[in-house]
Amino acid sequence: MGKVNRKWFMSILAILFIMSLLVGCSSDSSDEGQGNETEENTGETDEGTGDAEKDTEGSISGELEIQYFVGGYGDAWWKEVIDGFTSKYPDVQIKEQAGPNINEEMKTRWISGNPPDVVYIDGAGSSETQMVEDGQLMDLSDWVESVELPDGTPLADSFIVPPSKFDDGNLYSLPLVFDTWGTWYDKAWFESEGFEAPKDFESWMSSMKEIKNNTDVTPFVTTGQYPYYFSRGVLYPAFAAAGGEELLSSVIKGDEGAWSSDAVLDVMTKVQTMQEEGLIDPGFGALNHTQSQMNFILGKNAYIPVGFWLPNEMANDVPDDFQFGFVPSPMNDAGEPMAIVPDLRPLAIAKEAKNPEAAKAFIEFAFQKKYASKFAELTGAMMNMKGVDLDSNENVPVYLKDANKMINSDQVKIYQKPYPMSADLETPLGNALVSLMLGEMDAEEFTETMEAAAEEYRNNK
Amino acid sequence: MVQSKRQKQLFLLFCLLPTFIVFAIFTVYPLLNGLYLSFFEWSGMSGNQKFIGLENYKQLFSDSIIPKTIWHDYFLVITKVIGIMILATFFAVALTQLKIKEAPFYRIVFFFPNIMSVVIIGILWQFIYNPNLGIINSGLTLIGLEEWARPWLGSLTWALPSLVLPSVWAGIGLFMLMLMGGIMNVPKNLYEAADIDGANEWQQFWKVTVPLVWPQIKTSILYIVITTLNGSFIIVQVMTGGGPNNATQVMGSYLYQQAFKQYNFGYGATIGVMILILSLLTVLILQYFLKREKVEY
Repeated sequence: MGKVNRKWFMSILAILFIMSLLVGCSSDSSDEGQGNETEENTGETDEGTGDAEKDTEGSISGELEIQYFVGGYGDAWWKEVIDGFTSKYPDVQIKEQAGPNINEEMKTRWISGNPPDVVYIDGAGSSETQMVEDGQLMDLSDWVESVELPDGTPLADSFIVPPSKFDDGNLYSLPLVFDTWGTWYDKAWFESEGFEAPKDFESWMSSMKEIKNNTDVTPFVTTGQYPYYFSRGVLYPAFAAAGGEELLSSVIKGDEGAWSSDAVLDVMTKVQTMQEEGLIDPGFGALNHTQSQMNFILGKNAYIPVGFWLPNEMANDVPDDFQFGFVPSPMNDAGEPMAIVPDLRPLAIAKEAKNPEAAKAFIEFAFQKKYASKFAELTGAMMNMKGVDLDSNENVPVYLKDANKMINSDQVKIYQKPYPMSADLETPLGNALVSLMLGEMDAEEFTETMEAAAEEYRNNK
Repeated sequence: MVQSKRQKQLFLLFCLLPTFIVFAIFTVYPLLNGLYLSFFEWSGMSGNQKFIGLENYKQLFSDSIIPKTIWHDYFLVITKVIGIMILATFFAVALTQLKIKEAPFYRIVFFFPNIMSVVIIGILWQFIYNPNLGIINSGLTLIGLEEWARPWLGSLTWALPSLVLPSVWAGIGLFMLMLMGGIMNVPKNLYEAADIDGANEWQQFWKVTVPLVWPQIKTSILYIVITTLNGSFIIVQVMTGGGPNNATQVMGSYLYQQAFKQYNFGYGATIGVMILILSLLTVLILQYFLKREKVEY
């Protein structure tokens, strides 16, 4: 009897085990089912798109889901735009998916083929390049050509940096935020000590040496835990200044011979010189971005490469006598214009959006000059639109006006990168950079390491 | 009242079934799914999964960072086992045998790090190691050892050893309590007998205490090994993020980097399989070496 019962007991356990596995598998297959369904759906909505284009604004209705990351710039601007949009299109119900961790939170929705309609691609856990490679974004090439601003100028002519096409020749996103990396210094301290802001690499080096010799401040700091602050903030402008968009693009794409070229070696030798002269804070390797920025704010270091969000991000910790000063990272040779390589944060529409018409209407609505100047007021940064009057706007911070003036002058040239560097190439770049800046590797070894990393990247693509 | 066999079995089923279901859903399924995903190329961001057979495993064997991460993990395992066991045993013996009046106070002090989250410990020690503001470098400067001060976590040579100290500090308390429990169960008359036979304290420790608390020592070592192989990720992630230039990259943090930062989820799953196999092997080997006849006096 006991034996029989034990058998019975064990077989129930075994059945349950198998069932639990089946449940696991079946959830997979239902996922696939969902994917298929939504694919069919997109087919339908695509057809719908064609019809709707002929219609007027009145036909825009239904639910519109917007995913946006809330970081250093806050969400005040978004609230403003969404308010404006709903009063213009009262039939649209907007569902916001927002927050500092929204990219992680929405991940499962994207994986299961049920994405939001509009997505603002920014912040940790988001990658435009990856989204395009995964085929998650809608091709906007034709639509963009048809969009006009309220004053009649085509939207395509109104960007500071026009959207760039992907390798396949299509356009998947519109750059909304014009983020610029550059080098920051304390303007007030520089004025009181009589230091001058640099204009080229030579004057930067002499400024850093002067600071090192005359004060107890280590001239340069960056975050070693996130070395891309240095590569995007200093190296990209340096490559652009040395070899234009051609070099910048080949380096980002990891083209054969790009990283071992003479132009790259020259730039890396400049970095090596900074290290050898003891101008880089030897502790940078341990610092995360907040710690390095704290060092800078507390006056332990004089220069730091960060993006436009720095003043907003550190707003609570800035001493009273501190004044943010911004220069494009001065890696250019004397006599050449300084280089800026903007980091654009784009708006895009999901390929499987359920309400693509409303999504398009929203994007069209957001790209207006009045919202561009609101953006400058509310975030202290720039929206990617030309012809916005910041100078006469009292609510725009001084550093932004200065930067805006500088960017629009002859001293500065804007270079565009093809797309953000893939994490598979940016990671080895960051690793080699830290070694170079710690003095454990020289410029030549660096270029060899990176050429090998680029080859591996190309092979695995 | 005597329960019938059937009632007994129903009761057993009632106890075991929920656990088993939870175990199957939250342990067995993810485990098998991880194994399954390791044969795919998947970004972890979309629904596109492409079957690529053993490609991820080929990449694993040719990846020059993998051997480093394995070595870093075992470096932490070895140094943590040695550091924690020596100090925990020392404190346990001191607090039980030496009749210190303040023993309960020290017990609380040493156990304190165990009730703190590892993340907090990591952040705390990040400040301690801070090259400019940290207490270690300031302390060294204060006592005139300026040339010893260095950017601990930012140096390719010192970053990994610097992680050992907080890990040991955080681990001592729990194992000290376990050993104290063992030591207090050793009958007093054994020590008296050893005393009469002329054994000094050192001999008593090795011949009486260690053999009798061996089960606790063994459990402690196994526990340290397993938690380090699976959990060293947290302290690395908080304190150095695997840097500088992979100098502190452990298997877990590399998995995280590949799966969530470089969007190679399939490859990340492959690293997960490797961690599982290495942990299992390590524990099996340790079991064999730590086997010792149970001693009873």
